[in-house]
Amino acid sequence: MGSMFRSEEMTLCQLFLQSEASYACVSELGELGLVQFRDLNPDVNAFQRKFVNEVRRCDEMERKLRFLEKEIKKDGIPMLDTGDNPDAPAPREMIDLEATFEKLENEMKEVNANSEALKRNFLELTELKHILRKTQTFFDEAELHHSQALHDPALTEENLGLLGEEAQRTGQALRLGFVAGVILRERIPAFERMLWRVCRGNVFLRQAEIDNPLEDPVTGDQVDKSVFIIFFQGEQLKSRVKKICEGFRATLYPCPETPAERREMAIGVMTRIEDLNTVLSQTQDHRHRVLVAAARNIKVWFIKVRKIKAIYHTLNMFNLDVTQKCLIAECWCPVGDLDRIQQALRRGTERSGSSVPSILNRMMTKQVPPTYNRTNKFTQAFQNIVDAYGVASYREVNPALYTIISFPFLFAVMFGDTGHGIIMFLFALALVLKEKQIQAKKIDNEIFEIFFSGRYVILLMGAFSLYTGLLYNDFYSKSVNIFGSAWYPIDPQTNNTYTLKTLNGSENLVLDVGTSYVSGPYPFGLDPVWSMSKNKITVTNSIKMKLSVILGVSQMFFGVGLSFINSRYFNKAINIYCEFIPQVIFLFCMFGYLIILIFVKWTTFTYKDTGNAPNLLIGLINMVLFSYDENAQPSVRPFYAGQKGFQIFLVLLALACVPWMWFAKPFLLRHWHRYGQFKHQQLSVQSGDLVNHAQEINQQGDSGMMAAGELTDIEEEFNFEEIFVHQSIHTIEYCLGCISHTASYLRLWALSLAHAQLSEVLWKMVLHIGLAMDHGILGAFFIVPLFAFWAVLTVVVLVVMEGLSAFLHALRLHWVEFQSKFYAGEGYKFQPFSFENMMEYAIED
Amino acid sequence: MSAYAMPEMYFNIDHGYLEGLVRGFKGGILKQADYLNLVQCESLDDLKLHLQSTDYGNFLANEPSPLTVSVIDDKLKEKLVIEFQHLRNHCLEPLATFLDYITYSYMIDNIILLITGTLHQRPINELIPKCHPLGSFEQMEAIHIAATPAELYNAVLVDTPLAPYFIDCISEQDLDEMNIEIIRNTLYKAYLEDFYSFCSELGGATAEVMCDALAFEADRRAFIITINSFGTELTKDDRAKLYPRCGKLNPYGLTQLGRADDYDQVRAVADIYGEYKELFEGSGTNPGDKTLEDRFFDREVQLMKNSFMQQFQMGTFYSYVKLKEQENRNIVWIAECVAQRHRAKIDSYIPIF
Repeated sequence: MGSMFRSEEMTLCQLFLQSEASYACVSELGELGLVQFRDLNPDVNAFQRKFVNEVRRCDEMERKLRFLEKEIKKDGIPMLDTGDNPDAPAPREMIDLEATFEKLENEMKEVNANSEALKRNFLELTELKHILRKTQTFFDEAELHHSQALHDPALTEENLGLLGEEAQRTGQALRLGFVAGVILRERIPAFERMLWRVCRGNVFLRQAEIDNPLEDPVTGDQVDKSVFIIFFQGEQLKSRVKKICEGFRATLYPCPETPAERREMAIGVMTRIEDLNTVLSQTQDHRHRVLVAAARNIKVWFIKVRKIKAIYHTLNMFNLDVTQKCLIAECWCPVGDLDRIQQALRRGTERSGSSVPSILNRMMTKQVPPTYNRTNKFTQAFQNIVDAYGVASYREVNPALYTIISFPFLFAVMFGDTGHGIIMFLFALALVLKEKQIQAKKIDNEIFEIFFSGRYVILLMGAFSLYTGLLYNDFYSKSVNIFGSAWYPIDPQTNNTYTLKTLNGSENLVLDVGTSYVSGPYPFGLDPVWSMSKNKITVTNSIKMKLSVILGVSQMFFGVGLSFINSRYFNKAINIYCEFIPQVIFLFCMFGYLIILIFVKWTTFTYKDTGNAPNLLIGLINMVLFSYDENAQPSVRPFYAGQKGFQIFLVLLALACVPWMWFAKPFLLRHWHRYGQFKHQQLSVQSGDLVNHAQEINQQGDSGMMAAGELTDIEEEFNFEEIFVHQSIHTIEYCLGCISHTASYLRLWALSLAHAQLSEVLWKMVLHIGLAMDHGILGAFFIVPLFAFWAVLTVVVLVVMEGLSAFLHALRLHWVEFQSKFYAGEGYKFQPFSFENMMEYAIED
Repeated sequence: MSAYAMPEMYFNIDHGYLEGLVRGFKGGILKQADYLNLVQCESLDDLKLHLQSTDYGNFLANEPSPLTVSVIDDKLKEKLVIEFQHLRNHCLEPLATFLDYITYSYMIDNIILLITGTLHQRPINELIPKCHPLGSFEQMEAIHIAATPAELYNAVLVDTPLAPYFIDCISEQDLDEMNIEIIRNTLYKAYLEDFYSFCSELGGATAEVMCDALAFEADRRAFIITINSFGTELTKDDRAKLYPRCGKLNPYGLTQLGRADDYDQVRAVADIYGEYKELFEGSGTNPGDKTLEDRFFDREVQLMKNSFMQQFQMGTFYSYVKLKEQENRNIVWIAECVAQRHRAKIDSYIPIF
């Protein structure tokens, strides 16, 4: 049924739903998630649609739920997420839900109002308590000051405080009035300044901070406040001070003048606070009970309401039949799933108890259907890689299928190191094995989310890096001698093994291939002996460079081959003859030939004549330049007799392909257009695959008229200039692309080299220092921090950063170098109406 | 110094992000199509439903039905303030000062609102919610202790950035309606002139755009003051002192305006200036005609839109706030018409894009 090779075959369908059954049917379709509805009234405003009232009621219910949720969160009650998925409730249940929510909201509001009032009361009392306590100290100080001033004759009048001075002359609290209150701490400076300005310095302000923050009854925030007491003289000042206090939102409290009254009041306040505390805790308990009960159901309620809302949104996209008895919908759905959709409709009709069945008719259309690639959790990530570039045109070859292997492979070519591969593999493996737990946790970290959604890609990338690492024989940049090296240190002069003395004594020893190469080739990958040789890089560079070109050109050939499959499928013979064939010839003449030469060079030259082997790069350049010098150095000599003639032929053939690609198609099209030949064939291309015409039913409205096999007549405006320009661009892009893309694949070698070198440097500069230390036991201690440093850098730089860079390059090679050969990517995604998707992205309308 | 010679060159280093942001915000301003939809609304809930599909998103989603116009108004203001505060919190000098300058005009309005309210014996708690949140300041709520302009200055305004503007208003007269109006206009005059000189000092494209905008604002005030002064006790000399002197009317037009006795004479002054001539010609008091005020708003919207044509300048921030304010007026107007079922004049909003 579902294949990754192409997107699903889609069809446009018309649905006739009985008014009473429509809700149940759409709900079933939403559970199924295989149908994409089209908006049949795009011109109608959101608020003029049929079910706008229901949508509005859902909005209202959602608002209440959000309110409840907020309250639940505020109290830190865990919300039960059972993960079960209730069906969309029937429309009549909506009223029950509404009533439930209404009741809960009102109850909550009432509780909140009560507790707010209580809290305000509590706050006032607490503030009063603080005022009484703090002012007591003020008065005590004043008292002290007073007595000091009286008893200490040494104090001069200047040193006396305002209050003391005043008190001394007029008797305390006779003429001085005062107000006491509480104010937000951050407003004190401005408050003080304004008091000073307005009263021209004729007031005395004392303030003290309240140590523990108080709770604001409205917002529930903890706020810092201060107690203040202002002394002043006269009624006019009093009214001003009061106004300022009001302006700064300070709360004033009555404060008795005599200490005894104050004490009495404080006791009264304390008892009232005690009483309030019990009442408050009871209110809190009640609130808690209500919320716990709501928390148990709130997730399910959210799902239910959202489902109802989604259904009515969908119903709003439908047309009403003339008779008002049924709703007409249009939708895209996969042909393979028509049966399941029919079943869902039947279930929906049964559930609603309607006697008239819902009808699903396939329609003919000129519109391009959406692209629907069936994916599972494994293929999804790869499909995403492709879709990020562009969604495939309807039914064109889907590169995601090949990307599954080629992407991790090309990545691994650049990232090849067994050690790093193991880290990556194990990380991804952990994600894969624990995926259920991790999914259930719903981690909201964006970066982690990226890694998690690409876990299967990373898994394969790790596995392939393991493999290429073995090939390169790199394990954290060190080679591993698994099978025993094929080389043995034999002195080419004497034909004896080097003695230990010679080995230790000389820096440079040459191993001659003739004598030192004792057994057959190393069974797998690079012989470990190379890791010790000075020309290791030269050798691996040569191999990796050639491998990159071979891999690259093969992938491009494959891409061009896929364009053949596309042309065949869409019946565009003209594309095969005027594009595919010259493209293959062009690519082969230049780079296919190069690959053959690479293999020839590998197989025909032995160690004895490697020095005389021709240089491939210069050979290729000379081939294009037609430069064949008879007396040239050995590096540019031909491989074989008749090479000159053959190469000239190849280049001329390649050049001949350029005008073929360029001019053939546009002129042929113009010719056909003018003389009307093959016109029909041209057109059938557009809809060639749509459906089997014999089964096609073209239904207009409810007339039920059968019009089988009627072709959609798409008479495209023929515009020669446009076609020609397009073809020119295409041709130039392809020809230049072949060259630049081949060069571009050399990044496989370059990154692989960079990665190997970087890990080698890290080994040498960090861990090696510890390993080579000569201090006996001390070295063992040193190695611990050095290893930690090395390990951290390995993971951060070599695995994560290098991994990201190799990932990006692999991505580019797929998007640009590979897909440009065949992939149009002009489709649009199939977005079915599905409750599941809707829950994932908490809906926004 | 080169930064002063060519501020555009270095603009993006400090303000590039915010300019991008404000241009993004501007993209969310309602289009003509949205207004066409809005005026078809039958109820405020319809309005809410449509606004949900615009950049406003679900800014009303947590408001219980039935909605009222004042709730919509508050929410609109709140949204603008959140955006503005975001810009203000992330900006560097001189943009920070520039944005502060924008808030000063709201502060002036708030002060006047509070004084007028206190004059009419309204409790301050009732007045505070009516103040524009962009122009609130710490000492604002204590404003009712002042009985004379001198007290107002000494007690309240001396700590605010408006203090220098107030110097000209200090007198021991009582605060009455006339005086308040004079204070408002004097403050505005000083504010506009100060803002104008600040922008010209910034130089570059900012000066180009902003001086135009502020000159227009100054001229509009001069016209409106003159027209409103007919039939009041305001003497011509006092009136002339209220004209902001940074507009295009300065100096000749202002002298002429100072002598004007009736609407026709004002019109004669406007006739000398091409751009104002148009505005006066298109306005009228007959049904179907646009009022002069609306014509000025039209012109303002046009100016503000044009300021987005230039990059690397701060005029965009000013324009954004002004356009958004106009949009809020439009929405509130439409909401008001919808709520009162008074559809005849629903179309006299001022479209922006």
